[in-house]
Amino acid sequence: MSSIRTYIVPAVLALAVHVGVITLLLVNWDEAAPSASAAVEHYYIKAALVAENPHKVKQQKLADAALQRRQAKARLAKQRDAARRAQLDQDAKVKADLAAKASQAAKKSRLETMLAAAQQAEEKRAEEKLAQEAKEAKVATEQDLARALSEEQDYRLAVTDDEKAMAYVSQIQREIIQNWSRPPSARNGMQVLLTVFLVPTGEVVDVTLKTSSGNEAFDRSAMLAVRKAERFIVPTNSAQFERNFREFEVMFRPEDLRL
Amino acid sequence: MNEPLSIIDLVTNASIVVQCVMAILVLASMVSWVMIFQRGFSLSSIKRESIAFEDEFWSGKDLRKIYLEIEASEREPVGMELIFVAGFKEFTRLRQQKEADPDRIMQSVQRAMRVALLREEERMETSLPFLATVGSTSPYIGLFGTVWGIMNSFRGLATVNQASLSVVAPGISEALVATAIGLFAAIPAVIAYNRFAAQVEVIVNRLDAFTDEFSGILYRGIRRQD
Repeated sequence: MSSIRTYIVPAVLALAVHVGVITLLLVNWDEAAPSASAAVEHYYIKAALVAENPHKVKQQKLADAALQRRQAKARLAKQRDAARRAQLDQDAKVKADLAAKASQAAKKSRLETMLAAAQQAEEKRAEEKLAQEAKEAKVATEQDLARALSEEQDYRLAVTDDEKAMAYVSQIQREIIQNWSRPPSARNGMQVLLTVFLVPTGEVVDVTLKTSSGNEAFDRSAMLAVRKAERFIVPTNSAQFERNFREFEVMFRPEDLRL
Repeated sequence: MNEPLSIIDLVTNASIVVQCVMAILVLASMVSWVMIFQRGFSLSSIKRESIAFEDEFWSGKDLRKIYLEIEASEREPVGMELIFVAGFKEFTRLRQQKEADPDRIMQSVQRAMRVALLREEERMETSLPFLATVGSTSPYIGLFGTVWGIMNSFRGLATVNQASLSVVAPGISEALVATAIGLFAAIPAVIAYNRFAAQVEVIVNRLDAFTDEFSGILYRGIRRQD
């Protein structure tokens, strides 16, 4: 029928219009969307600085522990893969055994061993763990694997909890910024990294300087800001607290100054 | 969370109701664009043909010859041609009956032409009601999808004790896509509807005028022969 034929060209044109619009939309979408850079700094607070080192030895220790934990956190994705591999693969067990032996040998120089193992978080943790446990028993491998497994599960939970945690983090940020008065010597580009230790009630038990800005006054003002806050609102869920808030880092970095 | 939401994610993550709304709207938009193009082509061709026919009609050519040419050509007569054919056919048929009264002949010729005119008008207005419907309802359909989506995302918010914007934002963004599609469907439909309605009116007026002119010519023809 001729009346149907008259619809063919219009149908093609209509399709072309829609495809064109959708293509334009898809092409321009990413540019139009606001950049996600703000989200990258989740666990940092833009603020001021510090420069004191009260109890240096203890702090060093804490810093080391924090470093390890942070490295482990940073490689969570890798770790998960590795953990899964370890579970599924008998080879992983063999590997872990080897690692255990290696770590025994290197017991005296634990630090070097860790550095060498830094490539794979799973291996690293196996070493760490075994280096301690080897003193008591050499059969810690299974335990270690079980732990890896549970940590993996925890990690999965953590991903879903991330959004919740973000709400707390932003509140903590706000509180710290409120308490922060920058010294006149503060300049754009200075940055201080603090490690904050909380107890489950949210009270600040310790603040240590991780990376100094080089300006003592600025460093001190940052630490003071955290101490003045005294108490933060933290998740009541203890697992979540342990994961994100027992110990966390705060980055102070003024960006709105004229100098 | 660091990735910006892509539009595909927004659509695929939306709830079933919102997705249905989006599907309906996309379909409505597709169909209305088909109608827009089809109507646009057919109306402009009717207009073109009518102008061409009018030129021919007033060129002083023999009406019978024009009639035979139209009958001989393969394509269907449209617009003015159709009215001319209807009127002329009726006229010649009645003229063959000897004792026909000129007034009665004219009456039935005019009737025939009016019927043809109405048919043509109806044909020109096909699918215009559809465009009007899409234009007026699809924003509401889109709005429904949006309201539904926002309702759901706020309901999700109720279970979170620390409410943050990032919890509701994706849901609202998803929901708003429905309104966007609704407007995307509605705006062209409304524009096209108004444009086509105006065009149809212009053409119908022209045809009306032609009907009167043509019946005048035929009437004069009868009188002269008498």
